[in-house]
Amino acid sequence: MLKITHIDVYYGDLQALWDVSLTIGEGEIVTLVGSNGAGKSTVMNTISGLLKIRAGSIEFRGVRLDSLPAHSIVEHGISMVPEGRRIFPQMTVLENLEMGASIYAARKVRQKTLKEIYEVFPILGERAKQRAGTLSGGEQQMLAIGRALMSQPKGLLIDEMSLGLSPLVVQELSRVIQSINKQNNLTVFVVEQDVPLALSMAHRGYVIENGRIIDEGDAKSLLCSARIKEAYLGTA
Amino acid sequence: MEIVFQTMANGLLVGALYGLVALGFALLMGVMKFLNTAHGTFIILGGYLSYWLLELWGIDPFLSLPLVVMAMFLIGIVFYKLALSPLLKLPNIGMRINSSMLITFGSIWVLDNTMTVLWTPDVRSIMTSYTGQTLKLLGVRFSLTGLGGVGVAILVALVLYFILSGTYFGKHIRAATQDVVAASLCGINVQRTYLFSCGIAIALAGVAGMVVVSSYSISSTAGIGWLSSAFVVMVLAGEGNINAIIPAGMVLGLIESAGLLVMGVSYRQAIALIVFIIVLMIKPQGLFAKKEYGS
Amino acid sequence: MNWKKVSIFGVLVMGFLVPPLIWDLGTSVLNLLSMLFIYIILAQSWNLMGGYTGQINLGLAAFFGCGTLVTHFIWKAGVPFYLAMAAGGVAAMVLAVIIGLPTLRLKGMYFGIGTFALAEVCRIVVGGTFHRMLKMPSSYVASYSLISRYYVAFVVAALAVVVVYRVTHSKLGLGMVAVRDDETAAQVTGVNTFKCKVLALFISALLAGLAGGVFAYLRLSFHFIHMMFSPVWTFEPLMATIIGGAGTLAGPIIGSVFLVILSEIFALKLGEAHLIVFGFLFVLVVMYFPQGLVGSLDRIRPWFRRSWSRRAAREGQGKP
Repeated sequence: MLKITHIDVYYGDLQALWDVSLTIGEGEIVTLVGSNGAGKSTVMNTISGLLKIRAGSIEFRGVRLDSLPAHSIVEHGISMVPEGRRIFPQMTVLENLEMGASIYAARKVRQKTLKEIYEVFPILGERAKQRAGTLSGGEQQMLAIGRALMSQPKGLLIDEMSLGLSPLVVQELSRVIQSINKQNNLTVFVVEQDVPLALSMAHRGYVIENGRIIDEGDAKSLLCSARIKEAYLGTA
Repeated sequence: MEIVFQTMANGLLVGALYGLVALGFALLMGVMKFLNTAHGTFIILGGYLSYWLLELWGIDPFLSLPLVVMAMFLIGIVFYKLALSPLLKLPNIGMRINSSMLITFGSIWVLDNTMTVLWTPDVRSIMTSYTGQTLKLLGVRFSLTGLGGVGVAILVALVLYFILSGTYFGKHIRAATQDVVAASLCGINVQRTYLFSCGIAIALAGVAGMVVVSSYSISSTAGIGWLSSAFVVMVLAGEGNINAIIPAGMVLGLIESAGLLVMGVSYRQAIALIVFIIVLMIKPQGLFAKKEYGS
Repeated sequence: MNWKKVSIFGVLVMGFLVPPLIWDLGTSVLNLLSMLFIYIILAQSWNLMGGYTGQINLGLAAFFGCGTLVTHFIWKAGVPFYLAMAAGGVAAMVLAVIIGLPTLRLKGMYFGIGTFALAEVCRIVVGGTFHRMLKMPSSYVASYSLISRYYVAFVVAALAVVVVYRVTHSKLGLGMVAVRDDETAAQVTGVNTFKCKVLALFISALLAGLAGGVFAYLRLSFHFIHMMFSPVWTFEPLMATIIGGAGTLAGPIIGSVFLVILSEIFALKLGEAHLIVFGFLFVLVVMYFPQGLVGSLDRIRPWFRRSWSRRAAREGQGKP
């Protein structure tokens, strides 16, 4: 469904990604793991349109996305939960969610989608009138995910979900993601530093290092692969 | 004692105008972090539009206001496209503020002097059947045009408040102000939002211009004076605090009037500026600053 | 010592010093050139703060006006003009303390606004205090010699250029540029940023005050003295510097020349029509050529060098 083919991405004159290729099939949860600075967020920001590629192509359901501005990409069905949540701190929880439904198609079914989000994240319903900046880290993450889901996306990108959150909260979020994926057949692409978490959540995985994809495969087998164990899980 | 009340009343009237003058300026600065030093110039331009609509076609300025608003809105869009949108590519906010300050500053010279060449530096004022007439309320005289100006200011402020909090577009503006990246990721077309915001901001300048030309006067070089007032009001209200603009304007008007009683006419403008400096030094978030939550 | 630069400077100096001694250039030319020199002083003054230290001072006019005012009165009192001018410069420095104290703590654009506001306060206060025309006694008028004004203006302008040169090529100058580029980083590396900013302000004020002194010497009498505190005296040098190239030594000079030439071309039109063109150029420079004219020349120079060396290579190989 999402096809990234041989992309090169630069920050100004500095190259960050070399010849990166990924595919994500419909209904899959795919993860991209790697250490700090490996290029994970760069991939995310490129797909969502915040960065432009200098070579290669990005295709989603047959449509070329790589030359589109970020807001158009949302209209084509991809929604991103950015690194650091980036909720609107001075708007209420409800207003944040409403902003998620900014595209016209989502606006029409806003009320229905809101109800669904409240079912998945009841705490958001409780705090609907509260200023988003007063929420805890875990609640903000839920809000960010809920906001991204308000646009009725076909593909969800999540950048560093676990950062700054307690393990319990992260487990809960992971459970929620997996259940939404199963129920709504939502395709999910997750970028994570927490390798065991990511590989336990996903069907398939890619490994990135220094801007290049160095490994890919089934999530379970990646978890067991010697290389991963050595590099990220600390087994000698 | 009557003089004191009269002066205070005038201060309130002028204050409402100061608030109106500052609205468009604060919108651009608070929302997009664009420092539009040419704001005063656009006010004068709006004033000229009202003036010529009356002189050439006999339309009363309060009635021709919608026309002025539309024309200034279009001018704002063009101005945004030409001068300001390239600035969005700059990496940080500080550079954006500086560059917008310099670019709009250059625009002042172009626009002010073009107006001078076209329409001469003569002072223009509007004369209608009700100019100069006053109304006596509670023992104090209010000029009709002044009251009309207050009415316009309050009406416009309410409309703006409604747009910002009640409409999707307004919420897009607020979202883009708080986090541009997140707004784009929500599917908000930030460029278009900015474009229309700029149009609104310049249209607001136009409205202020209409009130200025009907209550006072305009001349092609008077722009900088109004910019000064707009700045002071914005700092008093606190940057980004649009709802506090009209009240802050009235505070300024009252302070100026109080100063007038004490020091006399020639130093009136200096008072506002000194207050401004003091506020900048002591409470730079403004007199009306609200507590900020979250990031 | 960069002998090439010194010799260019020397040639220019001769070019301005000698001609009036030989030919009679006429009142308007001498006046124009005198004003050019005053603009150069003001532009160098603004450049020191804005171009080198990154402090955009929008209240330069206050220092200029102060210098003019003080010089006028002290000279009228019988003090020789060069001492009166020095007094004007010193007075401007005192004013810099008053203006600098509240504003130097302000960051970013608020410094610009603060200085602008205080300069406006000065203008309004002066305008309220001095209603009548400021006149010089007829003895001064009778002994007026435009040529001496020309030379005084020139000497002070040359002095200003030398002062800016020495400052920017000193350790202080390095500190100033560090403040401009990244104040936090400068502080962290041990630069006394406050001292740099204060010194830049003082020297800038001194130069602007001297410019005011020269102006008082040039014009003698003033109808509305508060007009010497008008923002125009800040903004024209500012624009000239940026168009010419902020942060360079030649930039303010080139920009001022531009300004004066443009104002002459448009001299007969209504209002300050030359400012329309100037403003336009200014916007273009800010948007597309941030290094100004000087910077653009720097970019073209390698071009010339390449074609020179190509030609030399060809000739060296004996090809026609």
